[in-house]
Amino acid sequence: MSKNLKNILEEWKGLEEEYQQLQETHRMYLKKLDELSKLQNSCSSSISHQRKRLNEISQLVKKSSKGPSEEDAKILDEMKEKIKNRPNAFFQMEAFLPKKNGLYLSLVLGNVNVTLFNKQSKFAYKDEYEKFKLYLTVILLLFSFISYFFVSYRLSDVILNFLLVWYYCTLTIRESILITNGSRIKGWWVFHHYISAVLSGVMLTWPEGNLYHIFRNQFLAYSLYQSFVQCLQCYYQSGCLYRLRALGERHNMDLTVEGFQSWMWKGLTFLLPFLFFGHFWQLFNGLSLFRMAQLPECKEWQVSVCGLCFLILFAGNFFTTVAVVRQKLKSRNQKPKSL
Amino acid sequence: MSKPRFQAEWEEIDEEYQQLQETHKIYRQKLEELTSLQATCSNAISKQRKCLKDLRHSLTKCAQTCDEKELKLITDIKTQIKDKENVFFDMEAYLPKKNGLYLNLVLGNVNVTLLSNQAKFAYKDEYEKFKLCMTIILMFGAITCLFFLNCRVTDEIFNFLLVWYYCTLTIRESILINNGSRIKGWWVSHHYVSTFLSGVMLTWPEGPMYQMFRSQFLAFSIYQSFVQFLQYYYQSGCLYRLRALGERNQLDLTVEGFQSWMWRGLTFLLPFLFFGHFWQLYNSVTLFRLARHEDCKEWQVFMLALTFLVLFLGNFLTTVKVVHQKVQKNPEKVQKTD
Repeated sequence: MSKNLKNILEEWKGLEEEYQQLQETHRMYLKKLDELSKLQNSCSSSISHQRKRLNEISQLVKKSSKGPSEEDAKILDEMKEKIKNRPNAFFQMEAFLPKKNGLYLSLVLGNVNVTLFNKQSKFAYKDEYEKFKLYLTVILLLFSFISYFFVSYRLSDVILNFLLVWYYCTLTIRESILITNGSRIKGWWVFHHYISAVLSGVMLTWPEGNLYHIFRNQFLAYSLYQSFVQCLQCYYQSGCLYRLRALGERHNMDLTVEGFQSWMWKGLTFLLPFLFFGHFWQLFNGLSLFRMAQLPECKEWQVSVCGLCFLILFAGNFFTTVAVVRQKLKSRNQKPKSL
Repeated sequence: MSKPRFQAEWEEIDEEYQQLQETHKIYRQKLEELTSLQATCSNAISKQRKCLKDLRHSLTKCAQTCDEKELKLITDIKTQIKDKENVFFDMEAYLPKKNGLYLNLVLGNVNVTLLSNQAKFAYKDEYEKFKLCMTIILMFGAITCLFFLNCRVTDEIFNFLLVWYYCTLTIRESILINNGSRIKGWWVSHHYVSTFLSGVMLTWPEGPMYQMFRSQFLAFSIYQSFVQFLQYYYQSGCLYRLRALGERNQLDLTVEGFQSWMWRGLTFLLPFLFFGHFWQLYNSVTLFRLARHEDCKEWQVFMLALTFLVLFLGNFLTTVKVVHQKVQKNPEKVQKTD
């Protein structure tokens, strides 16, 4: 037998041994997987059972709060504290257990599990979401810039609008996944991505015509400005969040958003005028479109629908931001009183 | 007195809560152990793959300069290497893996591997129910648009629904492929092409050209939804039977075409499918003719004509290949038994 073949056969034997080991490890892995899914089920059912009983007992506590003795009152207060804090513990536990997807994710993905099972993965996923937003915003910025100054074809407008629809839809999917993983993004900041997707979709279907051309430049300039402000926000917000997380003042899963949130007073106040200017531009877009809709030559339904969308965006953005400012002013006013 | 009652109950709840915390701690620990086992397995598999590849190279080189006995040994080892590849593929169906480009763009790096056979099968089942439901909805949508409402807005809504449906199918199929489903080639790409087609239809402005093509397109959509419905309905029954007989893999899916296993009882579907393909060709030819019309200023017409042509070619040639394979196999079978 040739020397080469002998060497190869020895290597083959070594690989065979490793292969047997691999099969053993894999078998152990499958067994552990099974144990783990049983544990998952038992934890999940325990948590829902506990929640139910907690509900029952808090009803009982409420009833008993009428006319207790002093000793009882102390015990009751202690219990009330604990009852209030338990749901937080459950929320944190559930962040590591698989859960059913909400309606939106169920429709799009089906019942695949999207829970990330350790803190680093969750954080890495959040990090990736923010990079995605930053990159796409830069691409949209460049595209709007080119469409506004250099190219004036309907085809490139269509491509820009398709890109916008795809971007906002993808954001909604990723944000649903983040919420499943314990991120506390709420209310308007999620909903306004759906509205933006609808707006871009309607812009897509707006046929070529005089009215379209009258609005086109205004819309592209607005897109340019908005992408620029979003870039600023993503960039400065992530820096600020990083600092605050290091100081332990913010949660790991807090995200950058396209608005102003309470923690941003620490160093990002300069963003506020940019944001308000963007909101008023949305109002201006809405009003221009409503004016256009009243012209005799306007036959397209897209005009009034886009106008409505812009108004909703303005109202949501503006009032949410004003609420944050008001809260800050209120807390400032209260501070001197406590001295 | 109610005080002891709720205090007793509270103590019970508290005890259960402590137990839950214990269980959860054990769970987190086991989770970490599992994650490191996953990493070990994945690394071991990729190392084995690499070494086996190098080994196969050396074997091929060696085979050029050895005698008959050694050649037999080499061929033997090569067969074993090939079998190992299949084993690795099956092992990896239970290990988390990185998402492909498409899933990465849309979902990010969340893991979509389902880690048990039942979960995979349930997911596939759900995918097929989704296709069936949406096909029925699309059929009714097309009927409504063609016979009852003649409004651009409802056409837009119908087209948006088509775009969303095909995009969602592409996402779900990527997840299925990640989980070990062996759907390949044209049956995946043609959903991307259909998304593109519906997207372009969306942007086609109102006009005489659009009105000329509209009825033909809606009638085609009704027919296609009807045939897809037939397919999914009969295919799932057939697959169920074949799986029970152990002749097909658990994760084989219903597709919008004809596959080799369908000769057993689904041959009646073939004429329906071919008719659909030729209708796609007819759409393409109509659109090419419209594009040469003097009134035609829209780029969408030519683009749609091309897209329908691509769909026809892909569907027709893939189906003909299956028929060709069957026809070739049959005479061979007869020869073997003689």
